[in-house]
Amino acid sequence: MGLRTVVVGAVASLLVACQSLTGPPVPPPSRPPGTPQPGPGTPEPQPQPTPEPSQPPAPTQPPKQFRLGTASSALVKQARDQTTKGDFGGATATVERALRIEPNNPLLWIELGQVHLAEGNAPQAESMGRKAVALSTGDPNTQSASWRLIGDALRARGRTLDATEAYQRANAATPR
Amino acid sequence: MARSRRGWRRFVLPVLGVLGVAAVGLAIYCVYLDRKVTHQFEGRRWTLPAQVFAAPLELYAGLPLSGDGVEEELTRLQYREVVKLERPGTFRRQGARFEVALRPASFADESRPAQILSIATDDAAITSLRDSKGEEVPILRLEPLLIGSIFPTHGEDRIIVQPEEVPPLLPAALKAVEDRQFDTHHGVDPTAIARAIWANIRAGGIAQGGSTLTQQLVRSYFLTTDQTFTRKFREAVMAIALESHFTKADLMNAYINEIYLGQDGQRAVHGFGLASQFYFGKPLSELELSEIALLVAVVRGPSYYEPRRRPERVRARRDLVLKILAERNVITEAEAKAASRRSLGVVTRSSGGYYPAYLDFVRRTLRRDYREEDLTEAGLRIYTSLDPRAQEKAERTLEHELGRLDQAHAAAVRKRAAKTDNTLPLEGAVVVATPQSGDVIAIVGGRRVGYNGFDRALDAVRPMGSLVKPFVYLTALQTKRYTAASIVQDEPIDVRLRNGTHWKPVNFTKEVYGPVPLVRALGESLNLATVGLGLDVGLPNVTKTLTAFGLTRKPVEVPAMLLGSVNVTPIEAAQLYGSLANGGFRSPLRAVRAVISADGKALRAFPLEVDQVADAESVYQLNRMLELVMDHGTGRAARAVLPPSLVVAGKSGTSSDQRDSWFAGFSGTHLAVVWVGYDDNSPTEFTGSSGALAVWSRLMGSLNTNSRSPPMPESIVDVPIEFGTGLRVDPACGENVVTVAVPTGSEPPFKPGCGAPNDRSIVERAGEWLRDIIRH
Repeated sequence: MGLRTVVVGAVASLLVACQSLTGPPVPPPSRPPGTPQPGPGTPEPQPQPTPEPSQPPAPTQPPKQFRLGTASSALVKQARDQTTKGDFGGATATVERALRIEPNNPLLWIELGQVHLAEGNAPQAESMGRKAVALSTGDPNTQSASWRLIGDALRARGRTLDATEAYQRANAATPR
Repeated sequence: MARSRRGWRRFVLPVLGVLGVAAVGLAIYCVYLDRKVTHQFEGRRWTLPAQVFAAPLELYAGLPLSGDGVEEELTRLQYREVVKLERPGTFRRQGARFEVALRPASFADESRPAQILSIATDDAAITSLRDSKGEEVPILRLEPLLIGSIFPTHGEDRIIVQPEEVPPLLPAALKAVEDRQFDTHHGVDPTAIARAIWANIRAGGIAQGGSTLTQQLVRSYFLTTDQTFTRKFREAVMAIALESHFTKADLMNAYINEIYLGQDGQRAVHGFGLASQFYFGKPLSELELSEIALLVAVVRGPSYYEPRRRPERVRARRDLVLKILAERNVITEAEAKAASRRSLGVVTRSSGGYYPAYLDFVRRTLRRDYREEDLTEAGLRIYTSLDPRAQEKAERTLEHELGRLDQAHAAAVRKRAAKTDNTLPLEGAVVVATPQSGDVIAIVGGRRVGYNGFDRALDAVRPMGSLVKPFVYLTALQTKRYTAASIVQDEPIDVRLRNGTHWKPVNFTKEVYGPVPLVRALGESLNLATVGLGLDVGLPNVTKTLTAFGLTRKPVEVPAMLLGSVNVTPIEAAQLYGSLANGGFRSPLRAVRAVISADGKALRAFPLEVDQVADAESVYQLNRMLELVMDHGTGRAARAVLPPSLVVAGKSGTSSDQRDSWFAGFSGTHLAVVWVGYDDNSPTEFTGSSGALAVWSRLMGSLNTNSRSPPMPESIVDVPIEFGTGLRVDPACGENVVTVAVPTGSEPPFKPGCGAPNDRSIVERAGEWLRDIIRH
């Protein structure tokens, strides 16, 4: 529960950070053939960092910040209430509704993983965490939250050593 | 005197004895009939088929649905446009704004009461949702469309309605038309029988029935219609028995839920609840006078008065019903006149509503957990992922494109240029899924939509052809010894098999291409290069990849598997490609989301599951190659059909002799697998690119789908290379340049004279390019 609070806090601080985020205009992704069309409620098209081999990422580029759309936020709130009441089936179904709207938003995969963790389904919680890692490239806070979920899931399965490694990756993602 | 008395006794006593025995026998028989009919009546109250629902449409600000789109969705659910909002099931439109009186709705996880919703839209999307107090509604589901039910083999289907869901006009009309003495008789109505006999004598045949509603109910329970005296007697006894045990209200409710009202293929439509959905597509509680009168008209002979096939006959009887209702003061003369002017209002069945292939998949999923009786009798509510919009598009596209391909084939036959003079119609199957959520949203099992026959999407087991190649290439990428730019040899191959024979595959073009980069070998679906690559990484490893991605059959591990001798059904192909589309995470494809009991308890949920089956980096590289298939390879014909900016990935597949034409591909949100071929497995005119791709691209173009834009893993870089040689080039230099994704540090060498150091500015590069032009 303590770790859950940490993640919830991280997500909340993300949301706050996001509102004050006013970066320079975003360059279009350097990918052929066409530009991706953002889905409803998905974050604005974010730069795909495409660093050249020997170059560090340009420091002027702001890191990606995933956030939830209005509909997803409402559903996530509902799912958390359901989780608190022990209605894990309901919470799962509610987060899934949000995922159908924003399937590529790692925050929702983390949310679903949290429900599984609370329910005691650590293997699925870990899988959701790995899915979130794959989707959150370029967003250090979300990367960190994803690895933390994986760490919690591994620890719940008694894989302490692997859990420690996951926590280290979580910390490495967001240098403090 | 004594003798005569004895004689009388001798005569009477046996007669009395016989009569006594007969009376006792009859009494026992009556008790038996009473038990039988009571048992049936009690049993029926709780026997109803499982109802199956489509996925509800989620409404939220930002949903890409225009005003017309909103109206279309409301109409699909049979909401009626009105000037002033009335009861649930109506809406009011003013340009881009809507006010909707939503019906109460039950979902797998919650129920929502009836409520008023205001929807504002612009050209492209919903802009705001508000409730009756003007407060913003972040998200709200429309009620799910009822798509069918799982009825028992004798075919009886029904939707049970409670007395409070029945418009009062219906029982009143039934009494007025079918059984005037219903409220007072004891199961049979002698005056009605006498009247019927008199009418029949006058008409010289059976023109009028004298059966009470109770007798009709009994008849319906035991499914016999033979006109014999014993049946009539049995029916009368049972009717009287029912009347002695149950109230009139109970009997009326049973009648409303029981009576036969139409036929839909193998499905018998029983009860007014289902009849209302079947003929009008809306709940019984919303029916208007003219519609109630129509159903009451149909009671007398559901096949003789079939509203879809016999509209004029039905209309005449409906108007007669209205006239009777007015005569008996159930309605006013004016109401009857107004209702008579209304059209029948029967919805067409072709506008969706019956999806046999999808229901087939639902049934198979549930049969693993439930007994047949649970599904057909327990009144379960089954919530599925079916998207009626995608389903309709898939059905229409398949039908349309197969028609076109058949014509092309017929033209080729006429010119004697055809491979086969087959005159069978082409067949096909389509599966559409949203891979991230693991939902199957549409299944088409064949061309004759609505025909419940051979379901090709689930049962056509066909060699997958080149659809297998991405899994060979993925296996190679996972070894880290290959990248998209690695060179493989496309050269003649001669494999000596265990049985001593030789296997010598050739390319589709019969040509040999020499050294080619992986991206081109996959893009142009080169057989020789693929076999070489597959033999190098090892057949067991390719099998391992396929199994991890969701192949359940064990492939025969022979070199021909590298070219697709592996058999799959379209739904299995969708599972394999779904795991690719999902970035190397396998989510079991599901049609059923949840099963709810008749009393609202969640019995079984099928939550989304994910399992990582390949590293994200390898799958990312492969999927980028599959995007190039659509721009430079066998999928490029789709470009003429798809929106130019839509990024999709896919692969064609053609089995030997072109017996099977496949295409599997995905956007950012949708996956579609299409199979086209003949049922008798004869060769077609088409490859995957000319047959199935035509269906796939038109379907993908019609879905409201998003581009692929997965985040690039940090260890991967984009490199421009020549499609032909695999050499790294400056984009301004080189021929047929494509951008591939490779692991950092494994970039291929620059093409001599085409190198472009990274630190040069755009100005320098532009200058060089200009100089090049001038030099030429």
